[in-house]
Amino acid sequence: MRKLILPVVKVLTVAVSGGALIYAVARVLPAQQTGQTSIGVVEVPVDVDTASLRGPVQPIFYRHDVHAGQYEMDCLYCHFAAEVSQSPGMPTISTCMGCHLIAGAANPEVQKLREAAAADTVVPWVEVHKLPPFVRFPHMRHVMSEAEMECQDCHGPVEEMPQVYQFASLKMGWCLDCHLEEEATTECTACHY
Amino acid sequence: MATIAQPEPAVEHPSYAQVTRDIAATLGRPSRGYFILLGSVVTVLAVGAGALLYQIRMGLGVAGYTPPVMWGVYIATFVFWVGIAHSGTLISAILYLFRSAWRTSVYRTAEAMTVFAVMTAGLFPLIHVGRIWYAYWLIPYPNQRQLWVNFKSPLVWDLFAIGTYFTVSTVFLIVGLVPDVAAVREKFTGWRKKLYTITSLNWRGTDQQWRHYTRAYLYLAALATPLVLSVHSVVSWDFAMSIVPGWHATIFAPYFVAGAIYSGVAMVVTLLVPLRKVFHVEEYITVDHFENLAKLLLLTGMIVGYAYATEYFIAWYSGNPFERAAFWNRAFGEYWWASWTMIICNGVLPWMLWFRKVRRSIPALFLLSLFVNLGMWFERFVIIVVSLSFEYEPYAMGHYTPSWVEWAILAGSFAWFFMWFLLFAKNFPTISITEVKEIIPMPRKSQAKV
Amino acid sequence: MPKEMDRRGFLKVLGVTGGGAAALSGCSSDSAEKLIPYLVPPDYQIPGVPTYYATTCRECPAGCGLHVKVREGRAVKVEGNPESPINRGALCARGQASLQGLYNPDRLRGPMARTADGEFEPISWDDAIARVTQALAGVDGDRMWFLTGNEAGSFDSLVNEWLAAVGSQSRVVYEPFGYEALRYASREIFGMDTVPEYRFADAEFVLSFGTDFLETWLNPVQYAREFAASHSYADGRMGRYVHVDARLGMTAFSADEWVAPTPGTEGLLAMAIANVVLRDHGENAPRDSSRLRALLDQYEPETVADRCGVPADRIRRLAEEFSAVPSLALAGGMGAQHDDAHSTAAAAHILNYVAGNVGRTVMFGADRDPAAGSTYRGLADLVDAMRDGQVGALFVHGANPAYASPQGTGFSEAMGQVGLKVPPDHDPMEQWNDFEPQAGTYLLQQPAMQPVFETRQTGDVLLQLAGAMGDAPPAQLSAANYKEYLQQRWRQIQRQLRDGSPFEDFWIESLRVGGVHREAPTRPVRVVGTASRVSVTGWSGLGDDFALIAYPSPALFDGRGANRPWLQELPDPVSKIAWSSWVELHPDTAERLGIAEGDVLEVSSAAGSVTAPAFLYPGISPNVVAMPIGQGHTAFGRYAENRGANVYHLLGSEPTAFAGLSHYTAVTIRNTGEHERLATNAGRSRQMGRGLSQSTTLLAITSGEDHPFHIEHAAEVPEHVERVLEEVQEAQTQETKRGNYAGEHPRWAMAVDLSRCTGCSACVTACHAENNIPTVGKELVQHGREMSWLRIERYFEGGGDEPVKVELLPMMCQHCERAPCEPVCPVFATYHTPDGLNAQIYNRCVGTRYCANNCPYKVRYFNWFDHQHEADAAYAWPDPLHMLLNPDVTVRSKGVMEKCTFCVQRVRSAQDQARLEGRDNLRDGEVRTACQQTCPSEALVFGDLNDPDSAVSRLAASERGYHVLEGLNTAPGVTYLKKVRNVAEEA
Repeated sequence: MRKLILPVVKVLTVAVSGGALIYAVARVLPAQQTGQTSIGVVEVPVDVDTASLRGPVQPIFYRHDVHAGQYEMDCLYCHFAAEVSQSPGMPTISTCMGCHLIAGAANPEVQKLREAAAADTVVPWVEVHKLPPFVRFPHMRHVMSEAEMECQDCHGPVEEMPQVYQFASLKMGWCLDCHLEEEATTECTACHY
Repeated sequence: MATIAQPEPAVEHPSYAQVTRDIAATLGRPSRGYFILLGSVVTVLAVGAGALLYQIRMGLGVAGYTPPVMWGVYIATFVFWVGIAHSGTLISAILYLFRSAWRTSVYRTAEAMTVFAVMTAGLFPLIHVGRIWYAYWLIPYPNQRQLWVNFKSPLVWDLFAIGTYFTVSTVFLIVGLVPDVAAVREKFTGWRKKLYTITSLNWRGTDQQWRHYTRAYLYLAALATPLVLSVHSVVSWDFAMSIVPGWHATIFAPYFVAGAIYSGVAMVVTLLVPLRKVFHVEEYITVDHFENLAKLLLLTGMIVGYAYATEYFIAWYSGNPFERAAFWNRAFGEYWWASWTMIICNGVLPWMLWFRKVRRSIPALFLLSLFVNLGMWFERFVIIVVSLSFEYEPYAMGHYTPSWVEWAILAGSFAWFFMWFLLFAKNFPTISITEVKEIIPMPRKSQAKV
Repeated sequence: MPKEMDRRGFLKVLGVTGGGAAALSGCSSDSAEKLIPYLVPPDYQIPGVPTYYATTCRECPAGCGLHVKVREGRAVKVEGNPESPINRGALCARGQASLQGLYNPDRLRGPMARTADGEFEPISWDDAIARVTQALAGVDGDRMWFLTGNEAGSFDSLVNEWLAAVGSQSRVVYEPFGYEALRYASREIFGMDTVPEYRFADAEFVLSFGTDFLETWLNPVQYAREFAASHSYADGRMGRYVHVDARLGMTAFSADEWVAPTPGTEGLLAMAIANVVLRDHGENAPRDSSRLRALLDQYEPETVADRCGVPADRIRRLAEEFSAVPSLALAGGMGAQHDDAHSTAAAAHILNYVAGNVGRTVMFGADRDPAAGSTYRGLADLVDAMRDGQVGALFVHGANPAYASPQGTGFSEAMGQVGLKVPPDHDPMEQWNDFEPQAGTYLLQQPAMQPVFETRQTGDVLLQLAGAMGDAPPAQLSAANYKEYLQQRWRQIQRQLRDGSPFEDFWIESLRVGGVHREAPTRPVRVVGTASRVSVTGWSGLGDDFALIAYPSPALFDGRGANRPWLQELPDPVSKIAWSSWVELHPDTAERLGIAEGDVLEVSSAAGSVTAPAFLYPGISPNVVAMPIGQGHTAFGRYAENRGANVYHLLGSEPTAFAGLSHYTAVTIRNTGEHERLATNAGRSRQMGRGLSQSTTLLAITSGEDHPFHIEHAAEVPEHVERVLEEVQEAQTQETKRGNYAGEHPRWAMAVDLSRCTGCSACVTACHAENNIPTVGKELVQHGREMSWLRIERYFEGGGDEPVKVELLPMMCQHCERAPCEPVCPVFATYHTPDGLNAQIYNRCVGTRYCANNCPYKVRYFNWFDHQHEADAAYAWPDPLHMLLNPDVTVRSKGVMEKCTFCVQRVRSAQDQARLEGRDNLRDGEVRTACQQTCPSEALVFGDLNDPDSAVSRLAASERGYHVLEGLNTAPGVTYLKKVRNVAEEA
């Protein structure tokens, strides 16, 4: 009996610890990526290997670190509805083309955008921050709340993300932490109905 | 209880060795019949499990529920099995405290039955809920969402009651087994020896061990006794705490406890009759034992019958029109047949036990016990379904008929119960060797020579 | 088969944020959802914020104004347009269900052509236009026919001009409910071929001869509002309504007295009453009434009495009541259209005339013509024309005579001989159009969203054809598209209305309001010579057999609602049966014939026979059986096909004297021996003396005789016990107070005025629409598993010697302050919110169903199956129906409990809005629940009970107020106001 168990245990330990190590590395790497393209960096590498970055790969490699970070554009410039609606709103292509009619012509990603605009098709962005369907999150109540919340409180340092990834867990407990701290409502039907 | 006779095994002074041999013999190589039985039981269980999976996939709609009847066969069966579970503790614990020696040869069966019945009952709340995959939310556990259970809800009390009962009765069974297992330990080889070595907890029968053992057993008995009353009281409150006419009654707790013991004893009889035949232990489980069980049946049966009468009386006496309507509907409504089955099986038939002849006729008792089991299941069906189908809002009244899925799962639950019991009966002594030895007189020298 | 709508295309319409079909899965799933932004920002559309477009409901010819609620480019709900002169913000069940016409999965999804092997295959529009042009080239113009429903407005004129252009006059309009009898009578008596305008608001006594003016008759929503205003009880006064018909229909539920004459003899009764009025109470009669003297003298109460089985003194009493106050006599309902209906209608006109009601409650001028001058005979002529090959090409638009006409008419067969073209049209909610239900009322329709399918508006198609077909089209058809054509016409309208403003302003304003409305000048009318020729004979058809009444279904109308699952699921107001047909039969008759409820009967007439289960109804004469129109379609989508029986198959095809179709016929019934479990939500139809729906009489309430209901107790409760009970109650109240349920927080509550509720069930459908309630289908309804959060309980009273009464009780979650459901939930899935709502948290629910057991009102509904996954048989929203899901309401998964939430999503969003505006509290009436919003008779009022000035507080304090099952001490948030009946002393 003993003879049989021991080796099994050994193998398992090795596997687990190895897995943990790989995972840890995987977590760390992208952090370095984002590190090298933070605010103030003028020369942002044009083509980063998007697959290696954190967060889902988008049809167009839109750089929040460039727009929100480097050029310090206001989030609400594109996500125009966040102050008045439960939904933040996604920028329409015409919004993008407002600048990119001229700007960044050389950039292949901008090329994709222009093609889309020319072909009169929409860009199917991949949803990053996804709430379960039985949860209501009125953006305006948070953006306009007394607690002076910043978008970053939930979405993380978007201005440093070349590719946006889910920053917070978005689990109920995470919501509650803040609601209790700020003495906001913990009434169930505030979010669930 | 003291009045109950305390018969000795009818054997003419068997030696300790012989007792051990006889009872150990029940653990001998199983016959083909045994395997056929076990096989068929497992097949039925498989059918039940299949039905359950189908229900989980499709939704509870595949059961026969027709609003406003939101609880049906599942809860009825749940209460039924919890009831069955009761006599075990009664016989092993209470009678032990009362020092009624006749229990010795039957209590092991009763205890085993208890544990397996609770195991069966425990399944039904899960089978019954709409989202079985979230059933664990009924357990209070600290979580980041800061969600807690509602301790006002009888269902939560239920969880604890059943949980406690299962734990205690299991421990009780195992502790009781220890010396016996040790006794048969030496008679076997192979995996069984391993099994017994582990379960006998290294029992060597030293005086010290005996001293601790008897104490522990006594305390456990004392600990288990209140549960006999508490568990089914709590189960009854699932109903009594609601405002459904026909449920909302103060008599429910005692009424349910009596009913539980009643059904439990009946089940013990149902199990013992074939068991003693198959295992040839007639010498140990005698007619006297059955008569005592019959007396227990008689007592509890009378209480149950009285409870029925009280229910109807209160419904009339309260003058509450909803109660009156509900009970009128029970007796003469769409479900009259169910109500009368229950009244006849539980309220009328036990009167035959006033006759000694019946009490001492094993076939008669066996038949009677079957009727009682049937009647007690219908009692739960009537209380739950018939009351729900006829509540406050005439416009919202409805008629419920169980679907094949419910019948399949019901059958499956019996299969589940008997599977465990069969496995137990073949692998552990179903009659307590030690306690039987305790009540036979010291063997004389002459026999000792043999 | 039509191809699935391409998802990307849908998302393009949809705009941002995943959309509505919110599935209640576990916690956040990892499936990658796509976010599809708008291509270009549509004006006034912010994702997550609804936009409302004013348009017009085309479900029936009434022409109610709509507000289409649009979220992310999808129409998700329709609501009444408060600025519409007709419905004033209310809507009926059919209007609410119009969305399911837009998103109907069985809609024609694009032009199709028959291939060689007879199959249909989708083709492009250009191809389609080409094919049609080519096909029409072979047909000479005068052999082109055009069949439409009532299209009064621009489309009507377009069709006529188009036909004129191709050189044809063959235009047929067919509305199954054409009110031929009523128009014929108007012609006979007053010399004008119209339906007058009835002013219910001014009528203190309404005498209806079989008109269902609260269900389908002409303009039910407006009538319901005005009738409620004049008839419902308010501070000691109310009107009186007597219903004369062999059948007690939904409308008659509101009647204070029901007179059941021999079927088909209402006309005689009306004449007799008119006779008495003119002779004994003629003070209001116009001078020239004397011309009717001789005519009316033929109808003495005594002689009429035995013919129609109504005692003479009762006739006299009715006459007296009728002439005492401003009154209103109504006739010409489709449910009473037998072959003598025209003289019944004439009698009613005469009665109104001699009582001086014409010009007081009956107005001519704003002429309403529900059938655009068409008659059933017109259809019959078309059929003849088709038979002898005069029809080269037939265009059918907005009419379904193949269903809504007797088999004898032979429309379907005849149509087989004609090359038929059906261009797939836009839904009314996708198109530019207008509608003129009555003179002076011009209603606009504008597209509320992009077309769901590859359809094209018939108006545009016609214009294209006009262009494509050879020679240049005439000037008026030269418009580039139908919208332009429409605007041309509206320029004329503006000129007619002498509106000086620039057209753009006029146009925009009209779009905003939903149209323009000018009070049409009323014209004084006098009886004409033909009036004296009227002779009322009564319906002759009844022999020893049963009289069958084929009456309009309040939900399915003439059958056009049958493909709307919401309307199919809606329990009929009278029988409470859904998804099927039935035969109404008097219990005594049933007993005599040994028929039990649910027995399948074969009903046979000279024209044919149908089978349907029996429904035993005390509210029908013993020698009458009745069946609703609307079911029994052979085509028309998955929800309508092969369901129930088509009553038209029983009716004779011969046009009546007034060119209409007789809805009465003599039938025999046979018990087939089969039995069917009725698909009804009515468990029992008697209250068992439990006082759930309470009513009283005007006399009692004004004389203080009306006492609060007490359920009878065998033993009187001793005084000391009473005291204990009170203490307990008080303690419990304190308990609930601790949660700050009173004071700063509002307590949301509702008041239901049973005096106003007509039972029309619009609220039920509105609730379905607002709260994503699945439709479960016939089989589940048969098992009592309907999911509707709101049910209209219908209880019978009396019968036998007692007069039959029907009591109604809208039953939704009562939001009890001491709710029995709350303490029993083991996981707090249901609990009490600080603002007094009984909340149900779906994602916390485990499904023990204990709450439902403990709810005495039985208003909690359990998801027995999964209605939200396409994979499941019970899937309730086949593509594209899922587009109408309300994005603000979670779609519930299997195994969870649900119930009325008082539209908590509306409360919360209003609160969010208020906070953005810096307000802490909401104004009274700021939140209106879906049911309240749509109620035509304003029977439901929602608001804050803690605000003493709120409407709901005032109503809750009314002397008529009571709580259902008060004795259970649940302190419900819903207060019911007793129904008051204005019962005459003798009756």
